[in-house]
Amino acid sequence: MRHLSVENLLNYMEGHGTDVDKSTLEAHLANCRECLELKQEFQVLILQLREDSAFEPPAEALEWGVNLFQPVMQPEKGGPRKIIASLVFDTFDQPMLAGVRRVGVPPRQLLFRAGDVDVDVKIESMEANDRITLVGQVLSSATKFFDNTPVKLESHGIVRYRTRTNVVGEFSFDEVPKDTYHLSVDLPEGQITLFCVHRGNS
Amino acid sequence: MKASPYKNYSDPELIAMCLRGEKRAWDALIRRYKRFIFAIPIKFGFPESDSSDVFQTICVKLLEHLHEIKDDRKISGWLATTTTRQCLAMWNVKQRDSGTEEEVEEPLDPVGSLEDVKLLAERHQLLREAVEQLPDRCRSLIEMLYLDITTPSYEEIAERLGIPEPSVGPNRARCLDKLRIMLRHRGINTPWNK
Repeated sequence: MRHLSVENLLNYMEGHGTDVDKSTLEAHLANCRECLELKQEFQVLILQLREDSAFEPPAEALEWGVNLFQPVMQPEKGGPRKIIASLVFDTFDQPMLAGVRRVGVPPRQLLFRAGDVDVDVKIESMEANDRITLVGQVLSSATKFFDNTPVKLESHGIVRYRTRTNVVGEFSFDEVPKDTYHLSVDLPEGQITLFCVHRGNS
Repeated sequence: MKASPYKNYSDPELIAMCLRGEKRAWDALIRRYKRFIFAIPIKFGFPESDSSDVFQTICVKLLEHLHEIKDDRKISGWLATTTTRQCLAMWNVKQRDSGTEEEVEEPLDPVGSLEDVKLLAERHQLLREAVEQLPDRCRSLIEMLYLDITTPSYEEIAERLGIPEPSVGPNRARCLDKLRIMLRHRGINTPWNK
């Protein structure tokens, strides 16, 4: 028995061709297990391809993800050394205690580490005005505090807010608009960059 | 229509290039896994805005952990686990922030079990990788026919590919068959939905 060509089979599946073609193909499929399996295989393949198109992230989310690389991996020539801090703790990742109920959004606590420097960050969401307050402390395993250290909050590649740490290394950004920020701490050893404030998460 | 030269690099090669500061390698890595990541929160049942948040968080986590996963042959396992955890964390936060006790106790109900979600995401990724490995013209044709949400007509496809319109059908048959055979050779020849 001569099998169906892939093209004829696909045309049939897509509803192309005449009624005569259709009945001839259906008669063949009724008697040919091999062609029937091939048809099923193509059906699944096309279905999976079509389904996959629904998983395309929005262009702006994709662009954001792609552009994430820039500020960290392309330091200015001759500029300070840039260090990416690793996130070592995030309350967002912690399970809620069994039976605990809560009113309101709790502050999000994060701890970043870069070498022997720890940066503790707390983000509090102000639901009333859609703003956040971000407070933190720069600490090191050594006993000294990082006082008067510049701290910057950047979004979309622009420095939006600047402050300096106090005598015990604490800093604060009060009621800034919710956005996706990179927090940078300028230390003599280099600039530590943290990705921490993510819209909708805090 | 020409594919990025980075598409032929393996995951560890792309990661190594990222760690050397090559932005285009990062671009290729994110584009390779964009649907893989985004599919997981969608399958959890999150709306597009929440799924975008998960996607962005995973991009950040991937960048933070690149140096730790460079030895892996594939990062899909790491991505599947991390994205699933992020979805669970988001779900828990949403439940926490919502009102009643009944809602808090309500079990997670993604489409199928968590393992099914991960398995399906990984199978989809194998399909995407096979499409990426097709010759440029075939890949473009398959993408326009089945992946382009604007669903271009045969006439538009013929114009974009620079071929006569009657050739679109036979080319489609050849390319789909090539893809089917490629998947068979990779051991993916069973209907996935079974």
